[in-house]
Amino acid sequence: MRAYDGPAIETEGLVKIYRGGTRALDDVSLEVAPGELFGLLGPNGAGKTTAIRVLATLLRATAGTARVVGLDVVTQAVEVRRRLGLAMQNPTLDAFSTGRETLELAGRLQGMAAAAVRRRSDELLELMGLSSVAKKLAGTYSGGMKRRLDVAAALVHCPELLILDEPTEGLDPQSRTALWEELERINASGTTMLLTTHYMEEADRLCSRVAIIDYGRIVVDGAPGALKQGIGADTVVLQIESDGAADLGVVAEPAGANSDGAGAGAPSDPVVLVRRLLEGMVAPGAVIAHPVGVSLAVPNANAAVPALLRRLESDGLRVTGLQVTQPTLDDVFMKYTGRRIREEAADQPLLLGW
Amino acid sequence: MSALTAFFYETYHLGLRTTRRFVRVPANWISIIFFPLVQLLVFSQLYKDIVQLPGFGGESSYLAYLAPGQVAFAGLMAVAWSGYGLLVEFRSGYLDKLRAYPISRWSILAGEMVPLFFQAAAMAAVILVVSVFLGATLVTGVGGFVLILVLTGAFGVAFAGSSFIPALLTKSEQATSTISLLLFPLMFMSTAFVPKALMPGWMQVVNDWNPVTYLIEAMRALMITGYDWGAIGKAVLSLVILGTILQAVTLWAFQRLAR
Repeated sequence: MRAYDGPAIETEGLVKIYRGGTRALDDVSLEVAPGELFGLLGPNGAGKTTAIRVLATLLRATAGTARVVGLDVVTQAVEVRRRLGLAMQNPTLDAFSTGRETLELAGRLQGMAAAAVRRRSDELLELMGLSSVAKKLAGTYSGGMKRRLDVAAALVHCPELLILDEPTEGLDPQSRTALWEELERINASGTTMLLTTHYMEEADRLCSRVAIIDYGRIVVDGAPGALKQGIGADTVVLQIESDGAADLGVVAEPAGANSDGAGAGAPSDPVVLVRRLLEGMVAPGAVIAHPVGVSLAVPNANAAVPALLRRLESDGLRVTGLQVTQPTLDDVFMKYTGRRIREEAADQPLLLGW
Repeated sequence: MSALTAFFYETYHLGLRTTRRFVRVPANWISIIFFPLVQLLVFSQLYKDIVQLPGFGGESSYLAYLAPGQVAFAGLMAVAWSGYGLLVEFRSGYLDKLRAYPISRWSILAGEMVPLFFQAAAMAAVILVVSVFLGATLVTGVGGFVLILVLTGAFGVAFAGSSFIPALLTKSEQATSTISLLLFPLMFMSTAFVPKALMPGWMQVVNDWNPVTYLIEAMRALMITGYDWGAIGKAVLSLVILGTILQAVTLWAFQRLAR
C-alpha cells in the first residue's frame, strides 16, 4: 500500500521567525522513519507546536525544507494533507455534531466514498470505545472522549502519518493511560506517529525515539533508553545514621578527619564522611548532599550497592534507608539544557496565520 | 473530480455541518424569529389606522402592508448573527483544523455562507406563514411564496458580508454583534413601515439607495397585487450589486485572515 519507502518525516534546517522576531524554530533537522512513534519533547514555548504546524502545512517556515512521506509541505501541500492525520492540542471539534457525524465529515473532506466512510467510522468508534456515545453531540463528551474522537477523526482516512500535539494535555491520569494504550495499538498497526509532549513519562512510555527541543533547537535525539544510559549513572540515595550516636561528627572526629583537603565543610558533614569512606569506589564529585542524607551517582547501581553498603557499615556508618533510581528523561533534559522541564500548562495554541 | 465539482462537494458537506449547528441550537432561530414576529403582531395593531394617511394609496390593511417588510427583516436577522458563529469557530481552532484537510479554502468560506440562503429562507417562511394566518394577503399563491423565499434567501447570501466582514476584520465577537445591530436602521429607513411619500426628504434619499427597499417592494407586490416583474427585476439587480460588493470585501478579508 505504501508507495514510498523513505523517511516519514524529513526536515532540514527549519527556521521559523515570527513577526516581532521570536525565533520559534532554529535550524531544526529531523528524520522520522516509517513506523516510528517519535516524540518531540520540550518545555513550553520550545517550538513544538510551531514544528507541527509547519509539518501539517498550516504554517510556512522562514527557511529550510520539510518533507512528509517524501512530499514537500509547501509545494505539495494538498498531497501532504491527504496522507496526514492531525490532532491539535485542544480537541477542535464541532460541539453540535455527533461523534459519528464528526468522523463522517472528516472522511468526506478526505474524499472518501459514503460507504467507506460509514464502515471506517464504525471501526474507529469501536476502537476508541465511543460506540455507545456515537449519536451524542461531541459538545457533551468528557475531555477524554473528546480527545479520543479527535484522534479518531484524524485517523479516518488511514493516514500514513499521524501528528498529535500534546495528545494527553489536560487529561486525568486514567484517561491518559487509556489513550496511551490506544496510541500504542494504532502505532503497532503500522501508522507512523509524531507527538509532542512536555510530559517526561509520556515520552518515556510511548516513544521509540525522542528529540528534545529547547528554544527552537533540537538538543539531542535518540531512543529514551539510550539517552538515559548516556547519563552514565544511576542515583543512590542513602539515609545514614552514625553508630551509637545521633551526631555523625562523633564518629567522624576520631578518624582524624578532613584529610582529603577538599574543604567541603566541617568534618561532621556526612558528604565529606561518605566521600572518604568510599574512596576508591566512588569519585568524590559523585557524592552530593541530599535532604535525607547523601546522594551518590553510581554507574550500574544495582550491582554496586551491596559492596558500597558493606564498606559503609564496616566503617561504623549505619544506612537506615536506601533508594536506587535510574535516570529519567528529565535528567537527560537537565544534562543537555541545564534546566528541568516545568510541568505546567503546555504551549498556548497558536492563532497566528489564522 | 474537477476543481469546481470538488468545490461543490466540499461546500455541500461543510454546509450541512453549518446547518446542523444552526438547527440544533433553538436559541438561534428563536432569537431570529422573535423580533420580526413581535413587530408584526404589535405594529399591525398599534398602527392599524396609519393606512388612512394619503401616502398609503388606498391600502386598507396595515398588516398586509407591514408583512413583507417583516419577512425581509427575518432574513436580515438570520444574517446578523452569522459572523458571530464564524468567529466562534475561528477561535476554537476549528477553521484552522479545516485548513489541514485537502480542501479549498473557498469551500470553507462557502460552507459557512451558502447555508445562509436556507436559513434566511426558512426564517422568512415562518414569518410569511404567520402573516397569512393573521390575515395578510398572498395573491400570487404558491408561486409567489416560493419566489419570496428565494428572494429572501438570496438576500441572506448577498448580505452575509455585513456580518462576515466585521468578524473577519475585527476578530471580536462584541464588535461583530454591535455592527450587526447598527445595520438595523437599514430596515427602518426602507419602505418596511411607511411608504416613501411619508418620509422626510433626506430619508427618501437613503431609501432610494437602500437595497432592502427594493427587496420589500418586490415582495409586497407579490403579496398584494401580483407579479410585478419590474419590481422583481429591481430587487434582483440591487441584490446582485450589494452581493458583489460585500462578497468581494469578504473574500479579501478572508484571504487576509488566512495569510
